[in-house]
Amino acid sequence: MTSYDTVIGLEIHVALMTESKFLCSCKTTFGAPPNSQCCPVCLGLPGTLPLINEKAVEYATKAGLALNCQIHFFSRFDRKNYFYPDLPKAFQITQDAFPLCTDGFLEYYMDEQLVRTAITRIHLEEEAGKLIHSGPTIVDSEYSLVDYNRAGIPLIEIVTAPDIHTPRQARLFLEQLRLLMNYIGVSDTKMEEGSLRCDANISLKPAGSSVLGTKVEIKNLNSFRALEKALEYEERRQSKLLDRGEAIRQESRTWDERAGRTITMRSKGDAPDYRIFPEPDLPPLNLDPAWVSLIKVSVPELPLERLKRLEEEYGLSRYEATFLVNYRDFGDLFFELAEIGLEHKSIVNFLMGDYARLAREHGHMAAKRLAELLQLQAEGRISQNQAKAVLEELFSCRLSAREIVEKKGLEVVGDPAALQPVVAEVLDGNRELAARYKNGETKLLGFFVGQVMRATQGKADPETVSQLLRDELAD
Amino acid sequence: MLIDRQEVMRMARLARLELSDREIDQYQKDLTSFLSSGQKLQQVDVSAVEGTSHAVAMTHELRKDAVGESLPQAEILSAAPEAMDGFFKVPRIVEEQE
Amino acid sequence: MRRLAHLLETRQISSTEVVEHYLAEISKQEPVLNAFITVDAEGALAQAKASDRRRREGQALSPWDGIPIAVKDNISTKGLKTTCASRFLANYVPLFDAEVVSRLKDVGLSIIGKTNLDEFAMGSSTEYSAYGVTCNPHDHERVSGGSSGGSAAAVAAGEVPWSLGTDTGGSIRQPASFCGVVGLKPTYGWVSRYGVVALAPSLDHVGPLARTVEDAALLFSLIAGPDPKDATSSDAREFSIPDWDESFVKGLKIGVPEEFFGEGISPEVEGAVRDCLNALEGWGAELVPISLATNEYAIDTYLTLVTAEASSSLARYDGVRYGVRIPAEDSNTMFARSRSAGFGAEVKRRIMLGTYVLSARQYGAYYEQAQKVRTLIRQDVLEAFKQVDVIITPTTPSTAFRIGAKQSPLEMYLSDLFTAMANLCGIPALNVPCGRDSRGLPLGMQIMGGHFQEELLFRVARLVENHVGVEGEVFSDKL
Ligand SMILES: [Mg+2]
Ligand SMILES: [Zn+2]
Repeated sequence: MTSYDTVIGLEIHVALMTESKFLCSCKTTFGAPPNSQCCPVCLGLPGTLPLINEKAVEYATKAGLALNCQIHFFSRFDRKNYFYPDLPKAFQITQDAFPLCTDGFLEYYMDEQLVRTAITRIHLEEEAGKLIHSGPTIVDSEYSLVDYNRAGIPLIEIVTAPDIHTPRQARLFLEQLRLLMNYIGVSDTKMEEGSLRCDANISLKPAGSSVLGTKVEIKNLNSFRALEKALEYEERRQSKLLDRGEAIRQESRTWDERAGRTITMRSKGDAPDYRIFPEPDLPPLNLDPAWVSLIKVSVPELPLERLKRLEEEYGLSRYEATFLVNYRDFGDLFFELAEIGLEHKSIVNFLMGDYARLAREHGHMAAKRLAELLQLQAEGRISQNQAKAVLEELFSCRLSAREIVEKKGLEVVGDPAALQPVVAEVLDGNRELAARYKNGETKLLGFFVGQVMRATQGKADPETVSQLLRDELAD
Repeated sequence: MLIDRQEVMRMARLARLELSDREIDQYQKDLTSFLSSGQKLQQVDVSAVEGTSHAVAMTHELRKDAVGESLPQAEILSAAPEAMDGFFKVPRIVEEQE
Repeated sequence: MRRLAHLLETRQISSTEVVEHYLAEISKQEPVLNAFITVDAEGALAQAKASDRRRREGQALSPWDGIPIAVKDNISTKGLKTTCASRFLANYVPLFDAEVVSRLKDVGLSIIGKTNLDEFAMGSSTEYSAYGVTCNPHDHERVSGGSSGGSAAAVAAGEVPWSLGTDTGGSIRQPASFCGVVGLKPTYGWVSRYGVVALAPSLDHVGPLARTVEDAALLFSLIAGPDPKDATSSDAREFSIPDWDESFVKGLKIGVPEEFFGEGISPEVEGAVRDCLNALEGWGAELVPISLATNEYAIDTYLTLVTAEASSSLARYDGVRYGVRIPAEDSNTMFARSRSAGFGAEVKRRIMLGTYVLSARQYGAYYEQAQKVRTLIRQDVLEAFKQVDVIITPTTPSTAFRIGAKQSPLEMYLSDLFTAMANLCGIPALNVPCGRDSRGLPLGMQIMGGHFQEELLFRVARLVENHVGVEGEVFSDKL
């Protein structure tokens, strides 16, 4: 069996989070009743004209800057002509020959390795409407229903160079891209609502060869899992064909989630002839370099920068830092708590532990409120278990951590004099075991500590208890 | 004929026109005569110029991102040849066969 | 129109009377002329009544409040059928007004009806209308020109005092010339295209047709100006009617391009234009022989661009959201059947040509090449305007032809021979009548100027008008 190199390129459509559509002023709210967010322009009624939304251009520029692209002060819109029921004008306004951004890259970690994928171009275009098919799939539907609410929402299409080499890398890239889009706030990137969609091109070539193989396009990969699985399937399918000496057909395929395989959509020989030409209804875009500079300033700290800062300045592990980067809100909270002066590692442990579980359920808590709790724990005034109980209270009442501790009498008992009687009592009630301990079964210490903790309803400081027990049993 | 019948039929499919045999013959002639009269355009030396897509210089004022009025659903669907449950209805969608 | 406005203002006549007068003319002449697709008698009378009320209460919207107007049927009118003379849109009622229509309504004009045209403005004779040909008021066996044939004929016949037309390659000027009225194709971008059904957006223009130069200038002043709904509309700039001072003509440089005279041009047309040129020279203008050699390519360039853009602009007529639907098994077949049933032969022909010139294999050779030749033509014309102030040519090589006379499409396309150049360059161009031929058919002269030089065109046209005289003043009996 020959071994092959896999070559993957991605095309990602990202819906931009503008208030109004790309070319008209209709709302962009998801989930509205069908055909309730439309006007003459986005319905393509005769005589209507498009007007570019400035925010869409701003967001696309911001995405380009975050992806290290060259921003072209001159760019142009084109018409891509094809008939489809979801396309009101029977052409899509897009950018073909002169896109807004080109020649960028995205860096991300794959295992321990920092890898880079080149971004060929980013252009602006309009979204089509949404189709609902009467049957389970488009082909076995008797009819389809069209909702134009989505028609005309601004999209950016991001095209990578074919320099992704494994399905897993493709997935990591897309995850990182999605995170980046969230960081810069241009899209909600909800794959389940279609605001982030991915098509992939994949070809195989004999290992080390410089000649590219025939590429196959896989359309509509609408989850990270689908992307990875479809590419893995396609890798196997193509290598089998090549092993048998068969040619790969240049075609478009789609991922069948239930069957776990890709199936032919149309062969590339019949690729539509889009008859692209410059959009006469829109003058070219001429961006003011000063305006672009302002957008550049508005680009926030990006995920990779944050990761490096957490590792280098805060001494966190890759694992911890990654958590705080991937969950940006947790990261923000971390910085706030660190600012207050709490110890970094303990903040992370706390945030990744019980807090994460509760915050997902109830939403985040103000840093100041949390800080008080962490402070109490750091001072040894409450135990870890107590902290957990206080945290739960904090989510459900308006009292501060200190007030909760006082009200419940949760303060840790660390005074040996106060604990001495309890220790004596526990040993008294377990004489046999105490004797076994004295005979060398020292692992029984844990059992005694547990008993003391139980007797004090968890208030005892475990450190102090262990010391007392050891002292007692040493006699 | 500068242009063959197959090509005329391909154009008709692209443009979503269902043409009779007579129409195909006619448009084959028309396309051919149009193309032969347009030959002299091909001879023009344009190496020194860019194309003109807008004859008058203009600045592109972009629209502010503000939500405006949409039309009521009933009005949107008022001219629809076929509608159902607030949607436009179309027959089965099949991939383009070229 | 100033006189009519004066009559209205001094209440010597009511708007209702004015509208009734024109409706009567329409009823009398339409059976033969066929200049209208839709006459909105009820709506126009209601608007007239409202206008009369406003005037009584001293609330007139403008001096023109209550004057009727006709609008070409490819300009959207809210609640009033807009068919583009196509079967496809036989029942299409726009949900909004075109910007130019709102502007007319804002000053109180009442829309009396929608005029006939070649289907989707594709043609030069109004013979390609799904609603029958519009005859020439001066000879009913001849065409009114096109595609704004209905708008030109209605004004010439006195069915309406003025009208709006559209001009993509000569569609205002050529019918204006054939019917003997004034028609202006303005500078690209000076009049909003919002709501005007697209034929070829980079070449489409909206403009006025009227009996006199002053009325045309007035109507232009009502529709011109920037529109934020049209991204190609030009920067803030209003137009106001000139004072008609005639001293400007002294030293005015008039370019006379040799390519637009001589061979292939009817001697009567040439004679009339030369007569006017001589008159202008007599008043102190300087005639400058120039050459516009690139006009040789204008028609082919124009046809390539117009068919390409049209094939795309007309793709939206697919039977999903409005218009004709012929039921079929699947969507693609439904699209094709609906379009084939809804479009006439000329529309299909141009869509076929346009699809071909844009198709991947041909794009570079045709569309891209044509855009570049367009640049050369533009350079040629703008270069000429460095030497001269205006350029004067015949509007058409001959007077109105007989209905059915032009058999081949190419023959028809040549009607735009002298007019397409102005569309390719976006410069203003105007037709002013300059006499009659021996059959009594109107002759027309075209005046072209640099971008935004409309005022100058009107001034020159007014001199020509003084020279040849105006026929049939509106309500002359009342004055
Ligand atoms: Mg795209
Ligand atoms: Zn809209």
